[in-house]
Amino acid sequence: MFLTLRNIEKRFGTVSALNDVTLAIDEGEFVCFLGPSGCGKTTLLRVIAGLEVPDAGDVLQDGTSLLGVPARLRNFGIVFQSYSLFPNMSVARNIGYGLECRKWPKAAIAPRIDEVLSLVHLRDQADKFPHQLSGGQQQRVALARALAPKPAVLLLDEPLSALDAKVRDELRAEIKDLQTALRVTTVMVTHDQHEAMEMADRIVVMNAGIIEQVGNPIDLYDRPVNRFVAEFIGRMNLVRQSTARIPVAEVDDNACIGIRPEHIELVDANGDRSDALLGRVEKCVFLGSFTRITLNVDDRKLLLELRGRRTDLGVGATLAIRIPADAIHRLQDAAQ
Amino acid sequence: MTTEAVTASRRAVKFDSDRWSIVALAVAVTLPLIVFVVAPLFELLKLSFVTPDGIGLGNYVTYVRSAKFGRVVGNSIAVAATTTLITVIVGYAFAYAMRRTAMRWKGALGSIALMPLFAPSLVQALGIVFLFGRNGLVNRTFGLSIDIYGFWGIVIADVFYSLPHAYLILSAALAVADARLYESAQVLGASRARIFRDITLPSTKYGILSATFVVFTIVITDFGNPMVIGGDYNVLATEIYNQVSGQGNFRMGAVIGVMLLVPAALAVVAEKWIMRRHHATLSERSQPLLIVRERWRDCIGLAFASLVCAMIAAIVLVVVVASFVTLWPYNMHVSLRHYRFEVQNGLQPLWTSIGVSLMAAAIGSIVTIAGACVVRRLRNATGQALYFLSILPAAVPGMVLGLGYILVFNNPANPLEFLYGTLLILALCNVYHYHAQGFLIATTSVNQISRVFDEASTSLGGSFLRTLWSVILPIIGPSIVSVGVFYFVRSMVTLSAVIFLVTPATQVAAVSVLLLDDAGNVNQAAAFSVCIMLVVALALLTFRVALRASGRGDVSLIR
Repeated sequence: MFLTLRNIEKRFGTVSALNDVTLAIDEGEFVCFLGPSGCGKTTLLRVIAGLEVPDAGDVLQDGTSLLGVPARLRNFGIVFQSYSLFPNMSVARNIGYGLECRKWPKAAIAPRIDEVLSLVHLRDQADKFPHQLSGGQQQRVALARALAPKPAVLLLDEPLSALDAKVRDELRAEIKDLQTALRVTTVMVTHDQHEAMEMADRIVVMNAGIIEQVGNPIDLYDRPVNRFVAEFIGRMNLVRQSTARIPVAEVDDNACIGIRPEHIELVDANGDRSDALLGRVEKCVFLGSFTRITLNVDDRKLLLELRGRRTDLGVGATLAIRIPADAIHRLQDAAQ
Repeated sequence: MTTEAVTASRRAVKFDSDRWSIVALAVAVTLPLIVFVVAPLFELLKLSFVTPDGIGLGNYVTYVRSAKFGRVVGNSIAVAATTTLITVIVGYAFAYAMRRTAMRWKGALGSIALMPLFAPSLVQALGIVFLFGRNGLVNRTFGLSIDIYGFWGIVIADVFYSLPHAYLILSAALAVADARLYESAQVLGASRARIFRDITLPSTKYGILSATFVVFTIVITDFGNPMVIGGDYNVLATEIYNQVSGQGNFRMGAVIGVMLLVPAALAVVAEKWIMRRHHATLSERSQPLLIVRERWRDCIGLAFASLVCAMIAAIVLVVVVASFVTLWPYNMHVSLRHYRFEVQNGLQPLWTSIGVSLMAAAIGSIVTIAGACVVRRLRNATGQALYFLSILPAAVPGMVLGLGYILVFNNPANPLEFLYGTLLILALCNVYHYHAQGFLIATTSVNQISRVFDEASTSLGGSFLRTLWSVILPIIGPSIVSVGVFYFVRSMVTLSAVIFLVTPATQVAAVSVLLLDDAGNVNQAAAFSVCIMLVVALALLTFRVALRASGRGDVSLIR
């Protein structure tokens, strides 16, 4: 493994920020740390960067511990959430800064600045100062600055969350393309599941200082290991076995059943299917490409997502639904 | 990997030059603090406990039993308490007029109120003597015999002397207000007095307490004004001077110094403690209070503020006028004869002062900014200890520090003895006398820089020193200037610490004013004061223009 985190522990005072975190990252991989705020994802990124020292555990690169290596000697590039460009330097000097610090020969610096600026399509902005750039341009320069010294690992700490929605979408695609082209090992922290699903090869779902599940986007969506992951990625109907008329057996008290809203099927109300459930429409929301329906089945609310516009289903209407067996997930409560 | 291997890899810590440069810089700022602050204090304390019979409280017992003791301590406390009460009330009213009314001419009035900061500390007393003294304008004109020398003279002079400090603190406290509270109170039908009592006063109580302790410290440690206008009314600060300079009794000077140090230190500790819990008074959702025009309130505010400013200006103006007449108040013909300075050294002390002040500005900016950067980087117990050491001088009265310097540096056994009697020791004394204030200005500017810049620089391979030099210092650049200006101004006008350190060859201007006044040469004393004020005004103007020209007109030069 290229980058290995082994049993990382980190406490801030009495708060445990990271609790026995172990993870391995391949060379060239794009990994996202995903989780709600306060889950420890940024702390974990900072431990990798060397900006935080873990209380226990080890960080290894190619099998060698990085614990004795201060951040400035690790050669990991970082892009921060807030604009971190040095306000007293031009775009070119910002990008050249890391090269000067890493003692690149003078003759190699200017061409490299030019090269990374072309990567982020900002060659014409080299002489501008950060305050003359838009937020999106500033983050592009920050990306170019982080990439300039050819870092072993690229670390992105919520790089898009301070940007407008439209710029965010553009830059999201651009970062992903760049990463694919350069094959640089990348770790990104985000709280946005769509961002993680669009960009990451693998997603690390974190909660309260521990890793809940690691997997590619499809794995996480189709096979969440527990309630936390199921609810954090996509929407999920949760039903306790003991109160549900849903065809599944052998679920214990600590577990429940999850069904994705789009997996519930409508059936003919007058048909004679034995597995059909009847429910009353409580709410019907048109959301563009699909319609979200809140259905009351035996005083239990179920969400359904039906393709297209379903204005024919008014509040109070009765619907017959069917839950296919392969749509049912057995979910443990999140590991405590 | 086995446990053994993990330990081995951990032990293979690479040589980190960064850690060494931080340690080196920390030592570089700590050592001088020990030499120039801690050592003088220690020597002073030591001397105060040394008696012919060995170490003990003997000196204190002797002094406490003396007839003078009760009187001097009583005088000091009476003057400080009375002045503090008046100054805080007047300062609050003035700050209220500036911040909570829509009166006109706020800019001019606010500037006039700060004038005493830029004059030698005895100018107030000098002006009051010109007006109400034995040979003052009032007594001569109306044939009265008002006796201003003593308690009331000191109180009046010190009220004006300390007013700018109270005003700055209270103005900051009154500047922040949550409009939602005022609107709710109005909607609920609270009267104006009720709103003031229930909202304004409680929300500014920390400012009031802070101003109280700051003014108390300034007044109890003030030396210049009591010297000029105190007459026979002795206070602790003048008593130290009398003991040391008059009678050569260093031991008694040290004892009185410790007695002055205790209340001053307690007041400073109390003030710092109060300001630490000051933070949570304003939440993020607060709405700023908009001051609307209101005729009567604005008129009263303007009348009051103008009256205060008129008095402040009058005192300074009288000193200026007195310096330009033949013999105040008998012969009021315009004359420049007091500017010939036909005394020992002539105008030399002014040049000396400028030289010392420039040195203090240069050294002071470097040491305080270096200190602030080290404390910012060391976020641990060492950093906190260094922070404490850096603001310790705030608690040390100038007279006490100056006396400590004699004890430490006028000692042939000290390898730094060569400093004694030089201009450099005067500059260093000013640097460390005002170290707390300079350090806090530097800390405020350094802390305005987001730590993301440090981290970005570190991750790009920048060392601690490189980050400092290429990123932090260029960003705070103009603030470095404001630390320098602070030191320049303080060094031009200060009297208390350097009074013990000047020699005939290194006399500074503020001391000249005192000596001229002491010798009855009051008109020349006034002329010298005017020269000092002129230099300070010119310096401020130059920096203001330079800053504006470089596009940084927003940097505040007045602290």
